[in-house]
Amino acid sequence: MISLLLILIICAAVYTLSSSNLLHGVIAMSFVSLLSALIFYILQAPDVAITEAAVGAGVSTVIYVWALRYTKRSDDGDS
Amino acid sequence: MKLELLLILILFLVGFWGIVGKNNIIKKIFGLNMINAAAVILFILEGSRSGADAPILGKEGLHIVDPVPQALMLTAIVIGVCITALALALAVHLYRVSGSFDIDRIRDKVHNEN
Amino acid sequence: MATPKTRFGKIWSKAGAVLSVAAIGFVLFPIFLADNPWPVEARDYLAAMGQAETGAVNLVSSIYLGYRIFDTLGETIVLLVAVLGTMSILSRVESLVDDSPADDAGKSGADKAGDALKKSGGFSLSREKRHSHTLRTDLLEAVTGKIGPVILIFGFYVMLFGHVSPGGGFQGGVIVASAIVFLTLGNPGAGTLLSNTRVLSTLETAAFLLMLLLSSSGLLFGQGFFGNPMAGAENPEVYIIILNAVVGLKVGASLGFLCITMMGGHK
Repeated sequence: MISLLLILIICAAVYTLSSSNLLHGVIAMSFVSLLSALIFYILQAPDVAITEAAVGAGVSTVIYVWALRYTKRSDDGDS
Repeated sequence: MKLELLLILILFLVGFWGIVGKNNIIKKIFGLNMINAAAVILFILEGSRSGADAPILGKEGLHIVDPVPQALMLTAIVIGVCITALALALAVHLYRVSGSFDIDRIRDKVHNEN
Repeated sequence: MATPKTRFGKIWSKAGAVLSVAAIGFVLFPIFLADNPWPVEARDYLAAMGQAETGAVNLVSSIYLGYRIFDTLGETIVLLVAVLGTMSILSRVESLVDDSPADDAGKSGADKAGDALKKSGGFSLSREKRHSHTLRTDLLEAVTGKIGPVILIFGFYVMLFGHVSPGGGFQGGVIVASAIVFLTLGNPGAGTLLSNTRVLSTLETAAFLLMLLLSSSGLLFGQGFFGNPMAGAENPEVYIIILNAVVGLKVGASLGFLCITMMGGHK
């Protein structure tokens, strides 16, 4: 179970680094945080799961989206 | 168990590739976040091997996991988001100064102004 | 170091990146895949003595508020430094400063939107200055404005019950920060009391001062710096509850301040 979730996390991470639209990459990073929170719950760590869910899918994604919004660059021109 | 540790190592290396091999600043910050996530998952995984229950007492006959790495990782996650916020503020400022997120163009602009 | 412009230079730099990733993988491989047994002395001691010494049933709370409370103090200082750094960097970016136009009273909505687009391209929270009306519908404001207080109450619950169930200061604080973002999104224009950056910074400094006061209260009762002053009494978890609330308020106010500043500032 944990191996399957880790494979999904690696796929999402590779998609983040190779997508040309940065906003898609931000959503994929919040997906990585969501899967990490699920892993922490399965590994009997409820405190860390709550913190990772609230921080990764909440505050971190909000900060990324607003930083991209300011610079008006949601598209990547090069690699 | 070995397979999971190998996958965590691969996640760490993907994050490191994001820092070193990508030219966009935002992707470098993505790489920092991935390295943080890999380290936290590694600690929680290793700490959960020595028990079977969540570390909250209450019933009798509990065989709890080690609570020390969980307490340390709480601090690590919050510090990770602080690092991300500061790095993104720097990236926004660099964009306003130079006009792009690409690090080659920023370097050229800084060198041409000197 | 000049940027590589020739094709050979670009291939050389990419090869250097691949080589460094391979080198790091080679170094970390025995560390990640080592087969050492995890030492269990700490777990046995905490399972036996953790509740008696600190009064918290949740052992993770007893660690970061009882045995290793200096880490928590260091973490609040790191939060303070991060917020200070972000504020000082963002205040130099001139398009982020939210100056309220006092002479726009006579213009229509479209004119004000055009002004905002021409002036800075900045992102603002008030209705008149938005230049992307289609993306911020009334549905979003209605939903976030109504659900904001509910999440605030949930955040306070998680904060104050951290010693008996999963939760605590950090978790409740981050949930309170998200509730602050919801309240700010849902009430455009004036915003609520918690959307004011001055109120948030006052809250954060007050929580930090309270934490220093609580830390020195242990000295008066013979328990040492950051010691539990009620360790001998019949319910020593009151200290844990108060510390949870203070840490949660500090973390929530810090992260809420960070988010609202990056959103464009809200007077």
